[in-house]
Amino acid sequence: MIQEGVKKMKEEGIELIKDGKRLDGRGFDELRPIKIEVGVLKRADGSCYFELGDNKVIAAVYGPREMHPRHAQDAKMAVLKYRYNMAPFSVDERKRPGPDRRSVEISKVSREALEPVIIKEFYPKTEIDVYVEILQSDAGTRTAGINAASIALADAGIPMKDLVSSVAVGKIDGEVVLDLNAVEDNYGEADMPIAMIARRNTITALQMDGRMTKDEFEKGLKLAMNACQQIYELQRTALIERYSEM
Amino acid sequence: MKRMYKVVIPGDFISEDVNRAGEGTYIEEGKVYAMRYGVVDDKDEIKVVPFVGKYQPAKGDVVIGRITEISFPYWIVDIASPYEARLHMSEVTSGGKKRVEFGSMHTYLDIDDLIVAKVTNTDALMRIDLGLMEDFQLGGGGRLITIPHTKVPRIIGRKGSMIRMLKEKCNCFIFVAKNGRIWIKGKEEDMNLASEVILMIAHEAHTSGLTDRVADFLNSYRRIGDTGRG
Amino acid sequence: MGLEIMDEVRRDYTYNLVRRGKREDGRDFQDYREIKVEKGIIKRAEGSARVKIGNTEVLVGVKLEPGEPFPDSPDKGVIITNAELVPLASPEFEPGPPNEDSVQLARVVDRGIRGSEAIDLSKLCIEEGEKVWIVFIDIHVLDNDGNLVDAAALGAIASLLDIHIPAERYGLSGKGEDMIPMQDKPVAVTMVDIGGEILVDPNYNEERAAVSGLTVISNTDGTLSGIQKYGREGLEEDKVSEMVDIGIEKADELRRKFL
Repeated sequence: MIQEGVKKMKEEGIELIKDGKRLDGRGFDELRPIKIEVGVLKRADGSCYFELGDNKVIAAVYGPREMHPRHAQDAKMAVLKYRYNMAPFSVDERKRPGPDRRSVEISKVSREALEPVIIKEFYPKTEIDVYVEILQSDAGTRTAGINAASIALADAGIPMKDLVSSVAVGKIDGEVVLDLNAVEDNYGEADMPIAMIARRNTITALQMDGRMTKDEFEKGLKLAMNACQQIYELQRTALIERYSEM
Repeated sequence: MKRMYKVVIPGDFISEDVNRAGEGTYIEEGKVYAMRYGVVDDKDEIKVVPFVGKYQPAKGDVVIGRITEISFPYWIVDIASPYEARLHMSEVTSGGKKRVEFGSMHTYLDIDDLIVAKVTNTDALMRIDLGLMEDFQLGGGGRLITIPHTKVPRIIGRKGSMIRMLKEKCNCFIFVAKNGRIWIKGKEEDMNLASEVILMIAHEAHTSGLTDRVADFLNSYRRIGDTGRG
Repeated sequence: MGLEIMDEVRRDYTYNLVRRGKREDGRDFQDYREIKVEKGIIKRAEGSARVKIGNTEVLVGVKLEPGEPFPDSPDKGVIITNAELVPLASPEFEPGPPNEDSVQLARVVDRGIRGSEAIDLSKLCIEEGEKVWIVFIDIHVLDNDGNLVDAAALGAIASLLDIHIPAERYGLSGKGEDMIPMQDKPVAVTMVDIGGEILVDPNYNEERAAVSGLTVISNTDGTLSGIQKYGREGLEEDKVSEMVDIGIEKADELRRKFL
């Protein structure tokens, strides 16, 4: 599907890169604009609204709360649950409500991206629920979701070692670039979402879809790691500023 | 003396003084880091007081609970914690002098009743046992306010200074439980004032100069009979 | 509760072995268990393969049917990959709709095939915009002793090689290709991190003892066509790099021996 995209693109005359700039004017290592609001929901224990370019996502955290069914409880620690869901109106062609296979996989990978930082031993037999809703999608929704979820977890007072930051890199027109938008994702040759604990350079999620050489992979990894540092600073600032103003 | 409260997020480096590391922090490679989103309190131990968090019951805590279930011989009680607590029926019969009949527990305490209780025991399986305090029943005519349990120390104040001021100026009975539940009782307009002030303190708990601001607010509050507040 | 305690004991045992440079079955850290690939064992499927890696056993069946193309690629065939973790394969598999593990398994295998363009989908068109060949790849896990991904991926490619397109059955004889047009042979290599050591082809105990794992899918020319990280812990960047290198190397070995 990915390589076909390249051929189709050439047929339709779409150039993803022109004069060293991408379609939306960004350089190869530029992130789309990010907007963050912490504590936007009243009923949730923690929440965060996150925009990445045209992506609009909202994350809510409930818990720790008693886990049901009882037999699924872990006697020694809290169980983290993560649900990634796309609203039907979030994409061009209406998405039928309910989980599809893609959402199931994204939910699993995202949960595993956050588990390393959560100190689950504090609340045995409970569950911590993370709900991420994609309100508007423009590629990179799972990375926006993880960024928002990290903030929402901190906002909920969950004991954590650190925040997790996430971004995707990809390959378009043979070039490795940062943070693909939907057009680039559609017509590109590879897509690689990554999540990491920025301060420790530890990778907590990594997927690659498409075709890349080992060198391109390494280049993409470095690009992503730098971008995650930037995203981390924005996440931190949003959290600190929330309580610094009155 | 004004104190500036430093806001931290999980993973923020706080200090290298690992011997003083306390609640809300973790130690890694000889350094103390924040484990929660909150403010640093390094008066004695280095602690991070979270802005919000679930109440973790500890033996000796006095809490306000709500009966949610009757499960002979226990009442199951919600204490605003991820864990349910249980109250044995013998607690209502002053040490089990009288037997509580099966099917009659609701005549002593029923679903949704509020009680003042003490945490008598917690174990590794997170079973929490409660004992009733004297005057355990919170009856009609009062109001229950819930704030994050992390703000309770601010409502009490240093050596009880804040709560004393509230009780005096609001002219209310105010009982602050460890689990963030607060019971107030008084005249309607007095309870309104008390509610407002308590929520204000909870909202601004992380700032300095709070006690003075609260005192100013209480002093300038107009009573009923005037045309609303300023 | 009994099962949990056993789990922990086994996990510690495995971990301690690794710390002493050993594996339960005496393998080197980068060795695969014994692999057996048997092709064409299911007559009713257009292609099939039974793969055993140690005690792990996976059966893959490939069936072709004419169907509608996707609207944005009207002249291309379609691949649909599905995995079933049937209850008989493990005490932990329960009957019911696909859970996250089976969804992930199918999607990772699918990704490798798609990314490498192993199947030349442009040659599976019957009538543009109307009819194309749909390639159903169904993974049936029969015995789970760890590393289902590599077994399933190997089985998928093995099944796809030498497939006659069943044109006659659908009255489409003479239209287009005889055999499924294969352009590459992607191979998946899964590794785990236990106590800082990289182990290739984890068995069930090693999977449980591991902090994290990575599957690397690579092609004949050494390019990558899929990567997936699993596990509840993080991986350091240099570990990831090392795993990718090992993955490409081992994929070559497997490709030469079995495909």
